[in-house]
Amino acid sequence: MKHGFLDRYSDLDSFIHKLDPRTKVITTFAFILVVVLTPPTRWQAFALYFALLASLILLSKLPPLYVLKRSLVIVPFVLMIAIFIPFFRPGEVVGSYNIWLWEVTVTYSGLLILWNVIVKAWLSILSLIVLSSTTKFSELLKGLEQLRMPKVMVMILSFMYRYIFVLVAEVIRMKQARDSRNFGGKRMWQLKTIGNMVGTLFLRSYERGERVYGAMVARGFDGETRTLSNLRFERADLYFGIGFLVCLAMIGLSTLLYL
Amino acid sequence: MHIPDGILNITTIATTYAVSAGGVGYGLREARKKLAERHVPLMGIMAAFIFAAQMLNFPIIGGTSGHLIGAALAAILLGPWAAVLIMACVLIAQSLIFQDGGLLALGANVFNMGIIASFAGYYLYRFTTRLMGMSRRGKLFGAFIAAWGSVFLAAIACAIELWVSGVLPIQVALPAMAGWHALIGIGEGLITVAVLSLVIATRKDLLELQKI
Repeated sequence: MKHGFLDRYSDLDSFIHKLDPRTKVITTFAFILVVVLTPPTRWQAFALYFALLASLILLSKLPPLYVLKRSLVIVPFVLMIAIFIPFFRPGEVVGSYNIWLWEVTVTYSGLLILWNVIVKAWLSILSLIVLSSTTKFSELLKGLEQLRMPKVMVMILSFMYRYIFVLVAEVIRMKQARDSRNFGGKRMWQLKTIGNMVGTLFLRSYERGERVYGAMVARGFDGETRTLSNLRFERADLYFGIGFLVCLAMIGLSTLLYL
Repeated sequence: MHIPDGILNITTIATTYAVSAGGVGYGLREARKKLAERHVPLMGIMAAFIFAAQMLNFPIIGGTSGHLIGAALAAILLGPWAAVLIMACVLIAQSLIFQDGGLLALGANVFNMGIIASFAGYYLYRFTTRLMGMSRRGKLFGAFIAAWGSVFLAAIACAIELWVSGVLPIQVALPAMAGWHALIGIGEGLITVAVLSLVIATRKDLLELQKI
């Protein structure tokens, strides 16, 4: 089954797509960690991180515009922080403006924090997009299991993933039914309708869960799932992993050297 | 309330990861003990349910909308540890598939919307139903308080994390987050009440499931 909104582009064929999911999880984690630890004043380092990521995006054949669009999910959160910048503790004043009745002063330290948040959040989200758009979720789960995530958790997650498609399709059908009956009215009425939809969804999901469990037991389920592990840590993974981490470490360390 | 990466500092990331991993680990043990091999399909499908339910947006004020978190609902129906597990799965999938919430911020998100919201929801419900009795009215009122409180307390935890990370001063972060989510919480509360009243009307027995 293929749904456009999940796993898009994860079945392209590129060097990055072919890497072992473990390599990608570790390098993504390391990348975000190093980015978070970099002091906000080292803008050269951030430029280099971006160059590193951009080359990965090109290698992975993902449409850059798609990646850019996806990265906008962080906007609401960053915007929320940006709103409060003027309220920041006093520091060196950059400028003060009159907006309506408020006298707003923007301080240097406030701007630095905003820059810090924007650049780090954006670089992190880009790397996360590369990870999830080049790896199938089922592969990712296998990789996480090998990286010592508890097996039960992996089993629950793969179950969830299997049934997300079914239940999301159910929600879409319910929404369609609702909208075609001219969904409107007062806010209370809308909330009540949504509540009833969620309730119906719960009943259907729970009953489906019981049926699925019954079907599994009938087929000899004993609490273990056995899957083929086709993960292979190849030479390409080794070279890529080491190369990436060395680049990352060099950029990261350079920020410490030129203080 | 999904915190992206790059906002929290390293101490907050490490602390919340440790607490959340411990909580999820304990939850897994409890679920296995009480449900035996049944817990895998049940938890999986309930996680998919919360995930799907979060797709339904409700209006708040002036054109803005919010969506259900669902931790209180899960905690009332299945118990607090089950809710922690379910929310952790939902948040992991949201982070890894939709980049909704960061990878390093996952610990903090599971802590806020999983651990805090589930336990707040569960105990507020228990407390209210004990006070008002297990009548239909008591249950529905309890559900409202539980759902509202879970959103409110999760938002406060989120504000504290932002403050500790040096992103926002506490005198700004706390009222802003708490105030906004006090409003969203009303929506969460009313929807949870509607869900519960539907369950009471159609399958009352599902309210008496064993709590984990």
